[in-house]
Amino acid sequence: MNAPAERSVLLVVDDEPRILSALQRCLRREGYEIVTAEGAAAALRALRSRRIDALLTDHKMPGVSGLELIREVATQWPGIPRILLTGWAAEIAPEELRRLGIRALVPKPWNDAELKAVLREALGL
Amino acid sequence: MQLRSTRQSGEDETLGGAGVCVAVLAAPGAALGERTERALRRLGPELRVELFPAARELLARVRSGGVDLLVLEAGRGTEVQRVLGGRSAEDPPALVVAEGADEELALGLFRRGAADCVAVGPDYEEVLPVAALEQIQRYRAALERGAAERRIRWLERLHEAIVEEIPAALAVIDPDGALVTVNPEFSRCFGVAPREAAGRPYASALPADLLASGGVAALLERVAAGRSPAPRLARMAAAGGERAFDVRAQRLDDDGRVLLVLAEVTRTEALSKQVDDLRRYNENIIQNMNSALVVVDLEGVVGYANPAAERILGAPPDRLQGASLWRWFEGALRGRLVERTLREGVRFRGAEGLIVRDSGERVPIGTSCAPLVDGDGVRRGAVVIFQDLTEIKQLQRQVLQAEKMASIGQLAAGVAHEINNPMGFIHANLFQLGEYVQDLARVFEEVQGLRKACATGSLVEVKGAADRVEAVAEEVDADYLLEDCSKAVRESLEGSERIRHIVQDLRAFSHPDGSERSDADVNECLDSTANIVWTMMKHAVVLTKEYQDLPPVRCFPMQLKQVFMNLLVNAYQAIEEAGRGAERRGEILLRTRAARGGVVVEVADDGVGIPAHDLNRIFDPFFTTKEVGVGTGLGLSIAYNIVKRHGGTLRVESEPGARTRFEIFLPRDGGEAAEGGA
Repeated sequence: MNAPAERSVLLVVDDEPRILSALQRCLRREGYEIVTAEGAAAALRALRSRRIDALLTDHKMPGVSGLELIREVATQWPGIPRILLTGWAAEIAPEELRRLGIRALVPKPWNDAELKAVLREALGL
Repeated sequence: MQLRSTRQSGEDETLGGAGVCVAVLAAPGAALGERTERALRRLGPELRVELFPAARELLARVRSGGVDLLVLEAGRGTEVQRVLGGRSAEDPPALVVAEGADEELALGLFRRGAADCVAVGPDYEEVLPVAALEQIQRYRAALERGAAERRIRWLERLHEAIVEEIPAALAVIDPDGALVTVNPEFSRCFGVAPREAAGRPYASALPADLLASGGVAALLERVAAGRSPAPRLARMAAAGGERAFDVRAQRLDDDGRVLLVLAEVTRTEALSKQVDDLRRYNENIIQNMNSALVVVDLEGVVGYANPAAERILGAPPDRLQGASLWRWFEGALRGRLVERTLREGVRFRGAEGLIVRDSGERVPIGTSCAPLVDGDGVRRGAVVIFQDLTEIKQLQRQVLQAEKMASIGQLAAGVAHEINNPMGFIHANLFQLGEYVQDLARVFEEVQGLRKACATGSLVEVKGAADRVEAVAEEVDADYLLEDCSKAVRESLEGSERIRHIVQDLRAFSHPDGSERSDADVNECLDSTANIVWTMMKHAVVLTKEYQDLPPVRCFPMQLKQVFMNLLVNAYQAIEEAGRGAERRGEILLRTRAARGGVVVEVADDGVGIPAHDLNRIFDPFFTTKEVGVGTGLGLSIAYNIVKRHGGTLRVESEPGARTRFEIFLPRDGGEAAEGGA
């Protein structure tokens, strides 16, 4: 994707490639660049190698979980808004969400309009 | 031995009795001694004559017993006096013989206790035997009289002791019904002092209820009439409860006096009532207990069966006795259990098996068997006790199902996640496809316009319509939409296929086994279980499968799946615990192989391991190291029991902090033979 420099960049993380594909499909007309990663390790590589303006990550992933990734981002890149996409919102304690500075919890399966609104807000669009 | 004396009349007089012995005090070698001996010998050849020279020896001989007469020569004056002085009243009589000049002396001795005195004259040898015989007979008679008197005295004492001490009330009653005498027990029992008893009518001395209940009057009448009626049982009211007496009577003499004997049997009665009660109590228990109790002889023929046995065997009442137990107990129940007890005297407890009722119904039973041995220690048969396990089996199945549900509860989170992901993208894709259709519909609308222009319009109109189609197609990015459409549909179909698989796998877990074993492929059981369980753990676990071809195993497949699931969940939890927060994935290795007579399944993990002190407890019910709510603590215990039920073994080895390996062996018949099913 060859986007102009001023376009916002969203990092989307999920161990399920079909989810990444569906998210790209859904967000393709939102006007921001989408970078995908199939796990925390790939996500951290992307974060280190380029500008990222917002993070949207799944929670349950093999190895390092979404929450652990967010914790890492909160430490290293506190300025990046962090959004958790999960079917298990109830399993995460609210104080944990606050402490990690999670901007929003988006349920999975998601509502396209709701997701788009959350992301627009996070990216300041 | 008989002693003979020859009287002048020539008649023989005999003296009965054995061992007649005469001790003679005589000067050694004197002619008189020889004559005396010769004279005494005339009494009989067996008569023993013993000569003693001095009083001391003779008296010692007398003390040792068996001497009937002493013959003392008066001429041995001092010695004779010593003998007479040393005798006691019970000793044999002493007969003094004196020659002429000694006669005066002899008379003196006679006065000092000698029994008789015989002069030694020409007829000495005729006179002495007669005198000796008389003394011997007199002495013997006296001895017998003494013995008889002693015997009478002894009998009297015995009688007195019996009457005094016997724990029975005795009364002598005269023909008019008056008491003649009573014993102390009678006084104690009925409060009649012995002194007041005489002359009192017995009917006033004994309680009326005792007389009535024992029929005492009739008893006495019959005895008086010379008959021997059977003893009666009589009762009387008393402080502290009723007292019972055995009543009998005996006619004592021709005057019509009767001995009445009342022996208290209250305690005996109470004991016999207790024995009766106990017997009824036991009978009650055996009749009403839920367990069947059957006694069989060495051939297996039923000698006794309680109602529970009839119920469980489905036999009509009272038809079991005489029937062969083998009609119901077949296969291992008969051969390995009851017949072994009959043959070898081996006891069994809690063995399980199946019996087949006449109706064809199969009933699971638990049975115990013990040899029946008679008083001489000879085996006579066996006592077989069994219970209907139908309900217990049902409960077992329920517990199994409950545990399965609990395990499935643990799975649910993983499974839901697995379903949720495809649901997520299918949902999003459908939403997008909806938008695509709207966009493409706009293009199609322009295409309709183009078709219309082609049919009716000018070239300019056609060109304009084609431009509009082009513009809208461009605007909605139709090429991309068409391409992505099929991609979105493909991906969604794949997602729905995944969901379908998961649901199928889950369904395979939801229905229980039937009551019969079936042939199953253990690899398939293990693999389908691993697939479903893996959905919950795939983010943390690498699953390696090494399956070899296996022979079919007779089993309850769902139960085996339950075993595999419990072991897999256990392995997963061990890995989770070991690798919390780490990026490393654990490994579970599933391995199967055919082994002698069956199959072996291994489930190994590289999780936390099990501490040595827990190793022998992990199969205990409710043993858990997990937090409350995480596990039931039944998983491994149930796995163990299922494997045991299949006649197999479940072993575990573990290296704490490194790895754990469970190994299951299952025999090909799945424990069917051991269960005794026909």
